[in-house]
This record gives sequence, structure tokens and C-alpha cells, in this order.
Amino acid sequence: MAVIGAYCVSVNKEICLNANMPGKCATCAEVCPHGVYTLDTLDGEMKVQNFNACVGCRICVEFCPANAIRINPAEPEYFTRYPWTFSTIEEIHYKAQTGEYLLRGFGTHGQTPNFDMITVVPSQIASTAPLDKYREECDMKVVIGEDTCENPVVLKAPFVWPAMSFGALSKEAKMALAIGAAMTGIATNTGEGGLVPEEAWLARGFADKELTDKKWEPGGYLIIQWSTGRWGVSADYLTSGDAVEVKIGQGAKPGMGGHLLGAKVTQDVSRVRGVPVGSDALSPCRYYDVQTLDDMKHMVAFLRDVTNYQFPIFFKLGPSRPYADVAACIEAGADAISIDGMVGGTGCSPDIVTQGVGIPTIACIPPAVQALKDYGVHHKVKLIALGGIRNGLDAFKAMAMGADAAGFGSAAEIAMGCRVCYACQKGNCPYGITSQKEAMRARLDPIETGHRLANFIHACSEEVKILTMLSGHQSTRELSPEDLRAMDINTAALTGLKLCGFERPLPFWENAFQPAGNAQNK
Amino acid sequence: MKTIDAKTKDLKNLNNALRESVNGMPIRVRNASHVHGLAAGMRHGKIIVDSNAGDYIGVLNAGAMIEVTQDAGKYVGDNMTAGTVIIDGNADYGVGQYCYGGTIVVRGNAGDFTGTMNKGAAIIIAGDVGDEAGTYMLKGDLIVIGNAGENFANYLIRGNVYIGGEWKSIGHNTKIEPLTDEDKAKLSALFEYHQIKADPAVFKKIVAASEKPFYN
Repeated sequence: MAVIGAYCVSVNKEICLNANMPGKCATCAEVCPHGVYTLDTLDGEMKVQNFNACVGCRICVEFCPANAIRINPAEPEYFTRYPWTFSTIEEIHYKAQTGEYLLRGFGTHGQTPNFDMITVVPSQIASTAPLDKYREECDMKVVIGEDTCENPVVLKAPFVWPAMSFGALSKEAKMALAIGAAMTGIATNTGEGGLVPEEAWLARGFADKELTDKKWEPGGYLIIQWSTGRWGVSADYLTSGDAVEVKIGQGAKPGMGGHLLGAKVTQDVSRVRGVPVGSDALSPCRYYDVQTLDDMKHMVAFLRDVTNYQFPIFFKLGPSRPYADVAACIEAGADAISIDGMVGGTGCSPDIVTQGVGIPTIACIPPAVQALKDYGVHHKVKLIALGGIRNGLDAFKAMAMGADAAGFGSAAEIAMGCRVCYACQKGNCPYGITSQKEAMRARLDPIETGHRLANFIHACSEEVKILTMLSGHQSTRELSPEDLRAMDINTAALTGLKLCGFERPLPFWENAFQPAGNAQNK
Repeated sequence: MKTIDAKTKDLKNLNNALRESVNGMPIRVRNASHVHGLAAGMRHGKIIVDSNAGDYIGVLNAGAMIEVTQDAGKYVGDNMTAGTVIIDGNADYGVGQYCYGGTIVVRGNAGDFTGTMNKGAAIIIAGDVGDEAGTYMLKGDLIVIGNAGENFANYLIRGNVYIGGEWKSIGHNTKIEPLTDEDKAKLSALFEYHQIKADPAVFKKIVAASEKPFYN
């Protein structure tokens, strides 16, 4: 349940199929994840029973065979009633009736500091001249684990699919992500829910288990996640990919473990996770087998040992204290560190945690970069920015701020067809992305959806290429914060970027990170 | 029998040496208390550690038989999927966490969080266990012959917890069931096989009260 209460829903009774054939069509009631519609059993008319529950996802509009539904934002009233909006009132009523707190899927909604108030500054006469996007080359490769392992991961474009588990996502959606990665030469991630067997060969671009039929060029990579729930983990699981990711936290619910509600624990999921069918699979919030940073170092050591020193080790962090957390990851021996901002997505999380815990992505990157610089490993240990990255522009901004790559999680789901209804936890996804039900999953064709994902990555990498070259760089590795300006004081204060017009960072950024900053002195 | 002195070896050297020399004959390892993750992910072979062992011994074990003649550190047999780990002395915090299968025997005492998230292994502790033993167990058996600490078998989902002694307090979602004849036969077979002196008849069996203990 995610209550927004900011939409007016209307069904045009004249063109609704039930006008001529009462009780015939209930498509909207079936697809609506929030129970907005009910078919009146007496007169066979479709009724908007609970418009306060509408979150404005417009899935019903897409599925309605007669195009009879209109959804309009009711924002003026939403703002005049603030803080006692429909949303707040409904939420209090729900808690008073049930005694439960709200759980919901997808991610943060509403306004948080984001990349929008950052602008890209192009090259003109004073700096190096811009490069020609149409006739010149741009190097966007990212090599992870070059010096530390025998088989480094070489991303053809500076993107990854972040970890999304089997269980949270359907098998078909996992396969589509793997195909999308194979077609664009980027990396997909198993997530914490064990390996979908097909992923192992689809991610490398092969259509069969024996790795003979290479169908998709250039072939991508599979990152194996090692997580706190340790679902389906064995020595074979770890060696079936190209890299291992140690999950510490995630942006949507930092400090909590994965949530998979009973509605999505079907026979297949139960087989991997070992949790009884219909019972919630709630991962621990921390590693039971790590108590100190030394333990974490030993863990990285044995993960390298089990994978025969072939694979790079990634870390995934939630947004809390980026400087200290990244420093700890470097000490533990990371080859790449993903840092997930608070806008990062999730399959299910308590509403208050998604909305009110963690710091925004733009505020995570500068301290993380500073930690990498203080240890002298900036651009050697790769930094991957996650959380609310929507397009090539956001990815470019993250990379210019100092990240090496960016991840599209929520955007990947939307590229697969998702319309953001905030109900992933219910397992009724009408597009078959976050559902485990046969009927819903049948709507998602892995190959077709894989092509959509690959198209999305192609478009975004072209966008990054345009921006890189117009700021006069031949490679995404040359980008620097000098290529960006903040357009308002808030963003300049959060990021330390130069404020446009002022042409300098805000004065207090000159000594930023100095007092507590030098990690080696700790 | 081949003997490896681990005094000057680090994890990479020692485990590579073990992998090279596994060929059916047992291997003895000496002075290995500084190595954390000894025999990680081994698929077969028999290894006898003739000293104290470090942390994470037999982590991700996939079929090897590992015996420690003295005490072991933290996280014995972490995330094992098959094989056997036997500790003749005591073991520290977190024995047999996240195990999918195999057998762990500790002949002395074990620390807190023993058998946490056990997903299918048989874990036998001949002495006492600390607090929070058997937390969030999903499958398999945890057999404690001595006493247990606080919050024993907290949030048990599936699997069986057997205890010969007493517990200080018992965790959520647990209920006590009488031992069946099969349980007694299983316990006495395990005790006989691992040469542990205990009488199955005095044991209490703890199972989950519900498979769905959380808020839904």
C-alpha cells in the first residue's frame, strides 16, 4: 500500500465496455495494484471505489480496451491541505485499523536533492576544443580489477545493472537483464536470491548451456552477489560468474536486509532460498559471520581464494557515511565500490525507511571520491554510482563528479515496461517483472525485453558520448568536476561543485574533509 | 601421510598447497592458527590440522573432511554445502552459520550464534553453546549435548533443535515436542558414528511454532 491521494480517477461510463455489456470487462480492476476499481455486481458497472489509493501509475489506462479511463493529478488540493494531505490521513487510518506499518516497493517518491540542478559546461575557446561526436572516437571502457586479479571485468560502456534478486524479480526479468547486458557488453548482477541457471550463459551472450552458440555480441559479465541472507550460495555459485559483489547495504533500506514477502515465495523461490512457500524471507541486516573489519578482510581473502584469484571483488554500500564506509571498503580490499543513494530502488521496504533514511546520491559521490583520493586509488578502485540515475545525463554528471560507472536499476525496470506503481512487494506486477505468477510472467518475453534494455543502454551511452565530447574529452576517464556547475546554492553546498556565476566552490568546501578527513591517520 | 608446515605460508600458499596435494591420503597441517579461511571451498580430501585453527576454517566446504585436534576460531564451517568439519577442542563464535549441508562436530564448547541460518547441515556440539544458538534456522539439525544460553533457537522457521541440558531462555516461535522413535534412532546413530557419549532419551526437541512468524 502506497498512498498518494493526489489523483482524480474517472471512468467514462459511456465508452466503458460495461456500458453495452454489463459486467463483461474487469480489466482495470484486475491490473490495478491498489484496488482502486471494483466491478459492481448488481448493475455490472465499473466503479472507482477508492480513488485515494491511486498512485498515478496509469497501468489501467494502458490496459483498458476501450480507453475509457482518465487520471488527472489533483496537486493544488494536495498542497493546500499540507501537512494533513489525503496521503497522511489515509496512512493514519490504515495504521489505526490494522496496527501495521506500511510496506511498499520501488523506491523514494517526492522531491530529494538530485542531479537536476547540476549543469554540464561545454568546451569553448579557453579550454580544449570540443570533439566531434559524429566523426571521432570516444573511449568509454571501464576495466575493473586490472592489477589484482587474473580475469578483470571490462565493461564496454560505463554502466552496470545493479543487484536485483531472483524472487524480487521474475526469472524472465532476470533473463532479460542478462541478455541486455550481453548485447551491450556491460555487467548484470545475480542479486542476493541465488543464481537463475540461464543467467550464467545468457550474460556471456550464449544461447545454450554448453556455451557453443554465441547469439549476442559482444557478451557481458555476470556479477555474483554474496549477501547477508546467503540464499543459494555455494562454492559452485561463486565460481559461476565473473566477479563477486559483497553487499553491505542498499540505498532504499540501508541498515536493513532484503525483504521478500510471502506472496512472492513460490515453489521455485522456496527451492533457492530454503524458506517455506508463503513465508516471508527476511535477510539479516548484517553478516552474522563478520564482526570486525578484520573479519571482512579475511572474508575478501577467502572469497578471492575460493574463486581462485580470478575475479574482482565489488562492494555495495548503502548511503550513510560515504567517506568512512568507502575507506573501510578500500582497506578490506575492494576492486570496485558501488554506492547507492537514497533514491535507489527496492522490491519491498518499510515506507518510512525508503522515504526517510540515507543521503541522496549526489551527496554520496564527493566524500566517496575524497576517500579514494586520500588512499591514492581514485580510478584504480572503481566507484559505481547508483540510485536514481535516469539517463545518460545523470550518469555523465555522476562520472564527472568522480565515479567511474553508473548503474540503472529502477530505470532498467521501467525500460522493461514498469509504470512505477509502488506495489512490487505484492507480486501482482501486470508486466511480469516483479511477479512470480505464471499468468503475469507469460507477458514478459526475455528476448524482446532484452532488446529493449540493450536499446536503452545504447541510447544512454550515446548520450554520455555526446556530453563527454562536447566537454572536450576523448575518454570518460578524463572527466572531472570542472565539467560541471551547480545551479543553486543547495546543490553547490551538497556537492562542492563550482556555483555557476560565482565560478568557485562555496567557501566552506575549501577545508572540507580536513578535520576528520585524513583516513590514514586514524 | 604428507605434512605441511603453515608457519611461513599465507592463505593463498597454504590453500594452493592443499589443493595440489589432495589425492586420497590425509594431509597434516601444522602451525595454522594464523590462517583464516583454511581449506576454503575444498571439494574432496582429508585434512588434519595439528594445532589451533584460525577463523573461517572449512568455509564453503564442498566435500572435504577437516579435523582440528585443538581449538578453532570463529565461524567454523561457515556456509558449508557438504563434507565434515570436526573440532576436537572448543570453537568460538558462530559455528556452522549459513550451512546448506554436511556435518559439523565440536567436541568441546561452542560460542554465541551457533548454527545461525542453518539451511540443512547437522551441527553437533558435545559441550555447551552460548547465546542465540540456532537463530533463524531454516532446515537441518542442531544438536546440543550440554546447556544453551539466552534466546535459544530464536525465530526457528524449520528444522530441528535437540538439547540434552538446559537453556537460560528460549527464543520466539518455538515449541517443545516429544522425541519420536525416529529422532532417537537418528541421534543414537549420530552419537555412535562420532563416538559421543550421550543418551538420546534425555533430549528435548524444539521445532518451529509456525512457518510464518513475521507480521504477515
